[in-house]
Amino acid sequence: MAEEIQKKSKSAFNFEQCLKCSICTVYCPVSAVEPDYPGPKQSGPDNERYRLKGMEFFNESLKMCLNCKRCEVACPQDVKVGDIIQAARIRYSTHTPGLRDRMLANTDIVGTLAHNFAPLTNFALKLAPVKAALHGVMGIDRHRTFPAYSFQTFEQWYRRHETEQRRFDRFITYFHGCYANYNYPQLAKDLVKIMNACGYGVRLLEKEKCCGVALIANGLSKQARRQGETNMASMRKAVVRGEPILTTSSTCTFTMRDEYKHLLGIDNDDVRDSLTLATRWLYRMIEDGKLRLAFRDDFRMKTAYHSACHMERLGWIPYSTGLMKMIPGLELVMLESQCCGIAGTYGFKKENYERSQKIGAGVFKQIEEVDPDCVSTDCETCKWQIEMSTGYDVKNPISIIAEALDVEKTRRLNA
Amino acid sequence: MHRDRQKEYDVIIIGGGITGAGTARDCAMRGLKVLLVEKYDLTNGATGRNHGLLHSGARYAVTDGESASECIKENMILRRIARHCVDETDGLFITLPEDDLAYQATFVASCRKAGIRADIISPEEARRMEPAVNPALIGAVRVPDASIDPFRLTTANVIDARRHGADMLTYHEAVGFVVENGCVRGVRLRDNHTGDVFETRSRVVINAAGIWGHLVAKMAGVQVNMFPAKGTLLIFGHRVNGMVINRCRKPANADILVPDDTVCVIGTTSDRVPFDTIDHLKVTPEEVDILIREGEKLAPDLAGTRVLRAYAGVRPLVAADNDPSGRSISRGIVLLDHETRDGLAGLITITGGKMMTYRMMAEVATDLACRKLGVDKPCLTAVTPLPGSEKPVDKGHTSHRAAEYSTHAQEGRHGTMARTINADSIETRALVCECEDVTVGEVQFAVDKLHVHNLINLRRRTRMGMGTCQGELCACRGANVLCRTARVEPAAAERDLAAFMAERWKGARPVAWGDALGEAQLTATIYEGLCGLNRLCGDGKEIAL
Amino acid sequence: MKFDSIIIGGGLTGLTCALTLAKAGQRTALITAGQSTLHFHSGSVDLLGYDEQGQTVLHPLDAIRALSASHPYHKVDDVAARAEEAARLLADAGLLMDGTTDRNHFRLSPMGVSKPAWLTLNGLVRSAEEDSLPWRTVTFANIRGFLDIPTEFLVDNIRRKGTDVEVKSFTTPELEQARRSPSEMRATNVGKVLADETALRRMVEAIDGLEADGEVILLPAVLGVADARAESSLRQLVDRPIRFVVTMPPSMPGVRLQTCLRQAYQQLGGMYCASDAVTGGCFEAGRLRYVTTENMPDERFYADHFVLATGSFQSRGLMSNYRGVFEPVFGLDVDAADDRGAWTAEYVYDDQPYMRFGVRTDERLLVSRNGVRVDNLYASGSVLSGHNALKLADGSGVDMLTALQAAHNILKK
Repeated sequence: MAEEIQKKSKSAFNFEQCLKCSICTVYCPVSAVEPDYPGPKQSGPDNERYRLKGMEFFNESLKMCLNCKRCEVACPQDVKVGDIIQAARIRYSTHTPGLRDRMLANTDIVGTLAHNFAPLTNFALKLAPVKAALHGVMGIDRHRTFPAYSFQTFEQWYRRHETEQRRFDRFITYFHGCYANYNYPQLAKDLVKIMNACGYGVRLLEKEKCCGVALIANGLSKQARRQGETNMASMRKAVVRGEPILTTSSTCTFTMRDEYKHLLGIDNDDVRDSLTLATRWLYRMIEDGKLRLAFRDDFRMKTAYHSACHMERLGWIPYSTGLMKMIPGLELVMLESQCCGIAGTYGFKKENYERSQKIGAGVFKQIEEVDPDCVSTDCETCKWQIEMSTGYDVKNPISIIAEALDVEKTRRLNA
Repeated sequence: MHRDRQKEYDVIIIGGGITGAGTARDCAMRGLKVLLVEKYDLTNGATGRNHGLLHSGARYAVTDGESASECIKENMILRRIARHCVDETDGLFITLPEDDLAYQATFVASCRKAGIRADIISPEEARRMEPAVNPALIGAVRVPDASIDPFRLTTANVIDARRHGADMLTYHEAVGFVVENGCVRGVRLRDNHTGDVFETRSRVVINAAGIWGHLVAKMAGVQVNMFPAKGTLLIFGHRVNGMVINRCRKPANADILVPDDTVCVIGTTSDRVPFDTIDHLKVTPEEVDILIREGEKLAPDLAGTRVLRAYAGVRPLVAADNDPSGRSISRGIVLLDHETRDGLAGLITITGGKMMTYRMMAEVATDLACRKLGVDKPCLTAVTPLPGSEKPVDKGHTSHRAAEYSTHAQEGRHGTMARTINADSIETRALVCECEDVTVGEVQFAVDKLHVHNLINLRRRTRMGMGTCQGELCACRGANVLCRTARVEPAAAERDLAAFMAERWKGARPVAWGDALGEAQLTATIYEGLCGLNRLCGDGKEIAL
Repeated sequence: MKFDSIIIGGGLTGLTCALTLAKAGQRTALITAGQSTLHFHSGSVDLLGYDEQGQTVLHPLDAIRALSASHPYHKVDDVAARAEEAARLLADAGLLMDGTTDRNHFRLSPMGVSKPAWLTLNGLVRSAEEDSLPWRTVTFANIRGFLDIPTEFLVDNIRRKGTDVEVKSFTTPELEQARRSPSEMRATNVGKVLADETALRRMVEAIDGLEADGEVILLPAVLGVADARAESSLRQLVDRPIRFVVTMPPSMPGVRLQTCLRQAYQQLGGMYCASDAVTGGCFEAGRLRYVTTENMPDERFYADHFVLATGSFQSRGLMSNYRGVFEPVFGLDVDAADDRGAWTAEYVYDDQPYMRFGVRTDERLLVSRNGVRVDNLYASGSVLSGHNALKLADGSGVDMLTALQAAHNILKK
């Protein structure tokens, strides 16, 4: 019995393991620019002790947290600082999200509407009066450029090409996410191109819902939980088929692998290992000798890789960059890993805009110093932020691979 | 300094624990000229080394109906007069599979007989009310237990005593009595900082020194049969439980878990110890073992919770006068008039009892002192709120500013007095202690109002250094703020800081494994490695008292 | 994934070792579970500050020879040569440091205590003697409201060394803004605020406006996360000599050491996993074949050589529970007392036995598991047993020199 004493040293999110070393505060992008934010240590493990005492110790200043998880990346004691903060928001916040937050959070519903009227939407979203109205009435900052909405969603495109995809004898299942569906179907098509060249057909989930990252951030965790359960149910079927579920967004991936379980209480144990970024899957298949990629001889590009926060938290940067390093004509420059400030819908809100740009300033400056042909990153919201703030094109590593790929040669290698 | 060596007092009270502080308040409120003396800091003895439990009395209902009735009566009084020291958590008495469920009926009947509300609730209901409770429980009774902060309670009594004219000397030890014609006429005091010894005169002396009262009485040549009973407790890093959890069985070791402010406390053990150990109590591994083992039965989460400290206090058990062997021990209040008992006029001993019955103890001791002094004033302590508790503090509003955390924490600590803490400027809102949200303004307040001259005073009055890191970040900041606000000389503050860290280590050492050991190493890396504090502390190996 | 060498741990030891191996052309990976104790570092590297009797050491190389047999320096084949190598490594990473192995100098702690050191970041206060500073008068100029430097202690102890101190404080609009946070006005956050050129220029004006009387102005070391550029421009722009005093954690000089070493390593193409915990490994025929990690659970990290540089208890390189002390990644053999009562000493500043606990290694720094040596797993730095780094003031030296030694042992093979 005595030997069992005090062996289980885990509190919720390990907050008891915090040694108060304050290393997390060095890496918090928010507390560096925002003195009203209490910082990760105070907001997380310190005041969690007080919140256990009484509700009055919950403070809405916690919504200034970007949920970038850089505190967790920095923590040497494995304290889930970011999870503590987000869980506190879910548990204690009495704030009801308004129209603006609901709109920003419901990326798929808004996406459906916007895409149906895509020419109009895209036109309108660029107009100064519309921007002023969004700014004044909705609280969406006027400086923001909205990502354009596509005329045709990826799902629509896919349905037209579904029969071609069925001809393969090996498959991967693709979780495209809202962005690839509504805003930038080209990314999804790039993945299809690579997979097909490798001899894999692409299947979609029976029912795909937005991963819910924006819902969680905007205080709509119940809805996020419902959508998460739907996604998990569809993914289970892919797992049963023995297919990997690939993604092209680091944030969706992180949300579904980690936040579902930690913040929403969704049991994803049976799916988690099959759910992975396409770059990671490719890298591992190539390393295991099960797949080969061939690249065009004439491909030349200099790209600066930006480590998206959730990519950093996943710890998968070596996969995306490792894969790109396989391209002979590519010069890859690693930017210092810093938050770009957008954090999904955070930077769209007018109360956060200025802070968001201050946070990203370091990244923007670095990019200008490197002056690449394009910036590469695994996160779509980083793409918006960097494109808007620097004018440089930002590409997903999958798109760069697709561009550099020698399709015919790759097909032959994997036949 | 709040004293005048030539001044003659009506009463000198020896002992700055809760009993002495309560007695000083009662005497002062009845118009007596009072001096309270304490050899170290307030609450340094058993007052600061117990559960912080505001007993409903249920624990004693079966074995000692009289104590139980005293408890519930005082429990209700303290909720009114000391509301800022009380956290109205309620308590559970749980029956585990290994316990006899039949005891529950006896227990409830006894509670009701003593006037304690006791409701049997289902195990499901208990699990819902207190998610941390051992889910295997087979029975539960809800009683009006609560937690009470003995540091705040003592401080509030002292503040009120001083508002009513009382003087106080801390770090002054009674080293002898002034006896004239068989009558105690004062006390010889030694300043424990300087070593100076001097006499202070009074008409009556009240010995309220807890277990040390035995030695105080001996100095006066009278015998009080006390037996030191050591009780060891463990503090866990956060509040695992929201309600007090007790075992529904005959009182035994380690069967009470109390949520105290940001932490929770399991205790106690109980062992008779020799008198020569009471100033240097050591916590043994066996005690730690039994506390954790039994604690996990009350709330299994304790198994995953960092133990911050271990500490031990000494209960003064008093043997009946006709039984010097100590076999028949009373746990009730003992008031001794040494004039009638021993023929030594002018000396009163008040002892026994419990922390939470201090007010009643103070009342009977003050009644006796008043009779001796021919004063006829009624006791008003049961109806007069303590400073800070005049009215409830309004919770729940929120400004969404980072600084708001400390406002709530301070209201919790000082009640209505928190309003006088300066939070108007950036300077005063800056945090000294991050775990417990102590600001520069609160340190200033503590120095001005709460009799703070060093770090350990500050810790006991504000919780600075009582959180997870045990002083790792705050102690150094606190020491420097004290230099400015309390005008402590830097060299003295450096020694004080070293002694303070030594005191923190003393409590952490018995539980130094896991995260607590990592924390200790980090703290040493900062203070010894980075700063070289060990080069500033002298050779005395001083531990703050 | 396959590497020549994998280093587990990203503090001073891990970075030194990884950088050395990468420089030698090895394909390396560094896997670290979060940031390191460099965040509490003084900005000085010590070799040996005190001998085993607690006496100040002036000539570290001589004193090292007299250390007890258990000391990790005895596993370094040529301490003087390795020390030179360490100094070069720091310089190559852009860290300008002053000092020689011939004679220790003294750094000034945040509390004003002089502690022996070997190399000190250029710009930090340094003196040749323990009981004096090289100036008759100094002005200590603190940032208004900055609590993380114990001004009263610092000033008191400088005065005791016979130097007059004038105390001033200054602020700028940017610093006033940062000060609004009750908890986050830390050295590193202040440094981020001052990274902006305008903010720095305003700081210069504020310091000039102090009309300081001291021969030098001492400032808290809050400038420059990644380089000394802000420090040098400040020193150029202010019309008075400037020296910096390291603050309470987080330590800006320490963070800079960390950043520069990491960047130097990454520039050589070394793989750097910033936040991944090695969860275990596969041992075969007395060798470690591969390790696995938390973030990449199905990945096997193969390497010819591995270096364990996970630090001591505060870094979770060593762990303890109610029962005992253990090495958590591989369950390696440790040198530690069984009885918990023997882990600690009663007085806080006594020689605490747990400080000497660590992983057991042979003369080549190879670890063992269940009494059997692992032929390609080395341990370096604070995870090693055999010395109390706080008592001897040799922590950074042991980190760097044993890291270099492990790298050499690997390269010799």
